Amino acid sequence: MNSIHSSWSNIFIAHIKRDILTNSRSLLDLISIVGFMILIIILFPLGLGPIKEKLNIVSNAVIWVGLILAIIPSLEKLLQKDFENGWLDQIATSPAPLEIIMLSKAISYWLIMLIPLIITSPIFAILLDMDLKNIPWLVISISAGSLAISLIGLSGSALILGARKGNILLPILIIPLMTPILIFGVGVNEAVKINESPFGNLFLLLALTLIYLVISPFISALLVRIAIGR
Amino acid sequence: MFDWLANPNRFKKITNKLEPLLMVISLLFIISGLYFSLFDSPKDYQQGDAVRIMYVHVPSAWLASFLYLSLAVSCIFYLVWKHPLADLISSSIAPIGALFSILTLITGSLWGKPMWGTWWVWDARLTSMLILFFFYLGFILLHNAFERKIDGSKSASVLAIIGLINLPIIKFSVDWWHTLHQPSSILKFDGPSIDNQMLIPLSFMIIGFGLFSLYLIIINVKTKLIEKKCEALILKLNLKEIL
Repeated sequence: MNSIHSSWSNIFIAHIKRDILTNSRSLLDLISIVGFMILIIILFPLGLGPIKEKLNIVSNAVIWVGLILAIIPSLEKLLQKDFENGWLDQIATSPAPLEIIMLSKAISYWLIMLIPLIITSPIFAILLDMDLKNIPWLVISISAGSLAISLIGLSGSALILGARKGNILLPILIIPLMTPILIFGVGVNEAVKINESPFGNLFLLLALTLIYLVISPFISALLVRIAIGR
Repeated sequence: MFDWLANPNRFKKITNKLEPLLMVISLLFIISGLYFSLFDSPKDYQQGDAVRIMYVHVPSAWLASFLYLSLAVSCIFYLVWKHPLADLISSSIAPIGALFSILTLITGSLWGKPMWGTWWVWDARLTSMLILFFFYLGFILLHNAFERKIDGSKSASVLAIIGLINLPIIKFSVDWWHTLHQPSSILKFDGPSIDNQMLIPLSFMIIGFGLFSLYLIIINVKTKLIEKKCEALILKLNLKEIL
């Protein structure tokens, strides 16, 4: 039992290392996701007008919505490349459980794409004139919710694996699934704004993240098996 | 257990008899329900004649969620027991359910303008109904997005089962959150809180709508069965030519 356990964790770590390595060779993706996020943030002051009170009210929601929108273009590539060059076929024939590999995909995606967004989020908050006392809570809520976002994104990209025009379909499929994360994530900071305890929303957000953490690898593995016809 | 009905020929035989019967009964229910609800039911003491929108709004809302439930159940049947007929049924339910959910939203906003003073509010019931529509839409789009049709059926089935989580949210949204939408008055533990004069035409409309959508689904499934048969025939002919 112990040896099996250790070999699973070895597989998990090896795949995370592989994903980080392959992604670090093409930093363009990383730059484009942060750039896209900054552009979304820029659009709002242009649309609303540079009035500080208005921006202060919407800043929290804008950052969350921007986070969800910014990752959508990169989700397409999350499994597509591995699917096209046959890597997923190879992995599915190996004795290593596909669920573990899917989990490692989600975690490595979170480490590569979402950690930079979490780190830069205070800058966005200052750009949108958020109150200083809200910024730590923003970072905490985004850290709690972003793992769920990457897990949903993994299931979404597994759904469109092998589909025609999957990139157009993807937002329609995953944005309905993201709505609870958005509601509770925004709720954390809205509670802080009116001097109430943010922990209710934060715990619900964490609970959702844990639920997705359990379900998403299994769903994604099932969908990958469907896509490669096994 | 369900092998008996899953045979396409037997399904056809039964539905051939059922189809005209369903049409006649459902039209009878809908016409008499419309008469009762439009002419023979009392005005609401607050809402006046606008209450009559309810007789279309409530049945379509119920059906939109009930059809989603049956869609997901047949998707489970398809994924677990791999009956091809279950896939045909779920793909026939989807467009009808999508239409009912849109009808719910439209009639609701027509009622909302005179009553709430606004076409649309972002409360939990309305938003979750809109999300239900997007699940239907996603199911239809994903079902048709693949080169190999069987991939589309399987992926869309998984999506439909994931979307099942939305149904309890729709049902209990009016009890969990204090929203503008009124709480349910029919399916309650302590009996319906709606007067019989309104409940009877409403239940007529619900039964009529339900039977009519069953009729539409059966027509859809039969068309798809014929389509499949045509495809198989064309393949056979092509094969003969090659040989």
